[in-house]
Amino acid sequence: MSQGPSHSRRFAAALVAALVVGVGLSQWALVRARAKENHARAERVALVSLNALVEMVARAGGAGEATRRAVTAFARESSALTAIRVVAFDGLSLEASTASADTGDRAAPRRLAREEKPLYDQGQRLRAAIETNRQEGAARKEEIEVVPSASGGLALAAPLEKDGSVVGLVAVETSPLPPAPITGWLFPIVVLLVAVAVFWAAAIAVGERRGALALVALVVLVVAMFAVGRHANTMVAADVRSSESAVAAAVVAEEARAANVVQEASLGDARLLHPAAWDADHFRRPLGIVGADGKLDEARRAGEMGRIAASTARVLGSFAVLALAVLVWVGFGFASRLGATLRKHRQAYAYTFPALFGMLLLVFLPFLYGVVLSFSDMSLYTSQAPIGDLFTKLWVGLKNFTDILGDFHVATSTAAGLVWNYQNIYWTLGITIIWTVTNVAYGVGMGLFLALILNTKGLLGRPYYRVIFILPWAMPNYITALIWKGMFHQQFGVFNQIIQMFGGTPVSWFEKTSTSLFACIATNAWLSVPFMMVISLGALQSISADLYEAARVDGATRWQQFRSITLPSLKPALVPAVILSVIWTFNMFNIIYLVSAGEPGHSTEILITQAYKFAFEQYRYGYAAAYSVVIFAILLAYGIWQNKVTKATEGI
Amino acid sequence: MSGHTRLALCAAGAILASLTAMAAPPVELVIWHSYRGGEATAFEKVVAKYNAAKAASGVKITTLPVPYDALADKITAAVPRGKGPDMFIFAQDRLGGWVEAGKTIEPIDFYVDKATKDRFLGSTVEAMTYRGTLYALPFNYKVITMVYNKKLLTKVPKTTGELVTIAKSLTDASTGRFGVAYWYSNFYYHAILMNAFGGGAFDASAKPILNCEGNVKSLDLLLKWADKDKFLPAEPSTALVTALFNDGKAAIVFSGPWFLGEIAEGIDYGLAPLPTVDEAGGKPMRPWMTVEGVYITAGSKNKDAAYDFVKYVTDVEAAKIMALEGRQTPANKLVYDDPQVGNDPVLKVFRQQVETAIPMPNLAEMSMMWTPASSAMAAIVQKSATVKGALGQAQKEVVESVKLLRKVQ
Repeated sequence: MSQGPSHSRRFAAALVAALVVGVGLSQWALVRARAKENHARAERVALVSLNALVEMVARAGGAGEATRRAVTAFARESSALTAIRVVAFDGLSLEASTASADTGDRAAPRRLAREEKPLYDQGQRLRAAIETNRQEGAARKEEIEVVPSASGGLALAAPLEKDGSVVGLVAVETSPLPPAPITGWLFPIVVLLVAVAVFWAAAIAVGERRGALALVALVVLVVAMFAVGRHANTMVAADVRSSESAVAAAVVAEEARAANVVQEASLGDARLLHPAAWDADHFRRPLGIVGADGKLDEARRAGEMGRIAASTARVLGSFAVLALAVLVWVGFGFASRLGATLRKHRQAYAYTFPALFGMLLLVFLPFLYGVVLSFSDMSLYTSQAPIGDLFTKLWVGLKNFTDILGDFHVATSTAAGLVWNYQNIYWTLGITIIWTVTNVAYGVGMGLFLALILNTKGLLGRPYYRVIFILPWAMPNYITALIWKGMFHQQFGVFNQIIQMFGGTPVSWFEKTSTSLFACIATNAWLSVPFMMVISLGALQSISADLYEAARVDGATRWQQFRSITLPSLKPALVPAVILSVIWTFNMFNIIYLVSAGEPGHSTEILITQAYKFAFEQYRYGYAAAYSVVIFAILLAYGIWQNKVTKATEGI
Repeated sequence: MSGHTRLALCAAGAILASLTAMAAPPVELVIWHSYRGGEATAFEKVVAKYNAAKAASGVKITTLPVPYDALADKITAAVPRGKGPDMFIFAQDRLGGWVEAGKTIEPIDFYVDKATKDRFLGSTVEAMTYRGTLYALPFNYKVITMVYNKKLLTKVPKTTGELVTIAKSLTDASTGRFGVAYWYSNFYYHAILMNAFGGGAFDASAKPILNCEGNVKSLDLLLKWADKDKFLPAEPSTALVTALFNDGKAAIVFSGPWFLGEIAEGIDYGLAPLPTVDEAGGKPMRPWMTVEGVYITAGSKNKDAAYDFVKYVTDVEAAKIMALEGRQTPANKLVYDDPQVGNDPVLKVFRQQVETAIPMPNLAEMSMMWTPASSAMAAIVQKSATVKGALGQAQKEVVESVKLLRKVQ
């Protein structure tokens, strides 16, 4: 750290960079949060009106003249909702409409036109959602749909129920949303300036001591982020409070209007309305914050405020961590070193850029996506959710990993002895290790043995042997797998025929874990020998004959020659081959999937086939991604260890 | 040429020109299918007919064959992102998953009138319906039926009682001859018995019912056939069943239309509906039915035009071509009134069989059923577990998987 700018300057730059990142992101998040609250407020107020309207329409029977009267009265009372449309599924009819287009010969009641299919489909979707939620006893699918309307407002749709079944739909639009509140930049800029000034003053006092400067910068950053966080929380909380007052006012106003509508359209007793249920979420569950009398439930509200504070803290905390990373990165000179390297090897980076870019796009991004997925709870049902949901709604943190790795119920002891839990990762890992070790050991041993034989000088018909031995490798391995599966058939397989020839009883290969795994290993052994043989043969042929000649002159035996010349010469070729082969075998999907298919009862599954089953049979994408990350971690650890132990890959 | 005629001609020309200008701009619709061989040729013929009839309106259908294994996944990946075809043909097994994931297939209830709905075999429409909404018009169906070797079988069994008697007399374990061969250890094939006893995979409210009483009884019956009556080969598979039948070593096979293509030249075979099950009070065996439907994708820009084609391709004219030339079993029931189709010895039997068939569940959760159910089937057939124990275990696994998937976010 001798050259370059002084420590104090560097830390000042680092602090500015960190503050720009931390405070800037916080400000951006605050603007977004306020816009969201603004939107949510408009939505909640509109929902109150919509729910009141639905209650009126349901009272009016959902169809016929009474419904039209109720809708007209409601529209006259309240201008908040425009384009009210009531659809009855029966006869695909538009029962009532206040939309400006639906006048004259398009006036309700009439049959829905072709271009109104989305409206009908929306109703059917809501019906299916309600039936699904009822069947599953849960709130999984939204029972009220809210989307942005063409005019800049909201388009809402709610189901219309009659005697417990959904018979239609009420769709409305709102006037354009009020603009989001303007969040000033003054506060963050002041914080930034004050922070830098404080650091500068402290830096003069501290001098050029790196540790002390780092500490000062850290303290200033944390305090600044804390201030920004408090400020943001206050503003969001104020927004939320004003939302709640707005909703409470809406409930009271809507109740008064509803009473008028009830009277005007003669819809029975106005005292029997349910205004407490009007402030509800998308599953039509009353939020309960605003009571029937329009008063706020303080206890619930306090809980709500606590949740908001916690979520603000979480978001800003993560920004603070990011800012801290920037501080360290710049402050300790990593950034300037990276810049220097980039400048120095400009050409090299320019040449590798296309490849790097390609790798980034084709390898790292999907990999990153997989890792992000592993922290989420994505399943088939949520697979079309926007990518941002992965970090919010679907985020489960480390839950998938703790579920996978923290489940130690490998076996339970019962009266009948140990019962293994074949779905447990440690069982599957054990099987995978047995599978890998056996296969690679056999492949290397047998491959080397065959290569040594084929390497005999003057062996007759050597090219033919080589072709024959390479054939298993040349064949698509799923064909080999299926042929071998056939050979292990209980009644007609060749192995049982041979066993019977010698008077044995036929084995039901896929009935027991041991025999089932044996069948898979036998199949893969057949496939893995040729590769090792080719590698060994190539390496053998590159060993100079002079070495053996010299050894013979010195009186070395054949065994000594093998140990001191052949094996060491093979090592640079064999070790990478073994590493590769371990990784391939570890993830050898085809053989297990096709030969045993995990039978009996998932016991011969290896990790990769198990991950496949989680993803594509159980549709638990997040869990399967986490499973895959675990596989990756295991292989990564193995690769690092292997490299350390051998150092052999350096030579190639 | 007189002035009048010239004027008239000019007027006619102007009208023609304006008509052409008014005609809809050319619309090209793409449909993906996975047909090969005769099915593909027949399908192309249907499409060509439609295109010829629609030449004036500017609508043109283009077909794109996609390998069967890849088609569904391509649809899942492409359509929600605004790519992919306007229509495609696929079976009902992925239907539930597509609906649950969203943005993939278009509901068509709005288009379909009663007359259109009524022209199909009822259960095929049911297969295309998910949670009360119709998502495709059924095109054809496949069911398991009874295929027998005419040389070996003199009397076609109508009940399981007759089946057992006949099968036992035709079985000779020492020479590897079997009265009946089918992939009974497979959950799909076993459904013929399971459904006869009122069992199945899911109940009407989409709850797993693997360990229900009907399933237990059906397996008890299967075990009786395998162990006591001993007319079934051990460890059955499609390859084994085909080999046995082609060697004349199996008199009766329970399989679907895919099996007919595997039968060797020179084997004189016949088809008959599956027998009734005495043990289930004379109820018929009820195979699971796979129905291929013509779907409209959610991203299609021309859904009205697409529906017009979907309607045409499932109508009698197209169904006849697909039946006679493509050797499909159409879901359109009116086509069987045509003597050429109705009297076809193969199509006739499948048409009879469909009366007792029930559509295979189109729930997304069905894919979670296969592995536990297959394991249970294997364990039961190989006697490594009791019927109740194995089914109970499988039920537990499925319930757990379903719970984890349906978890509320």
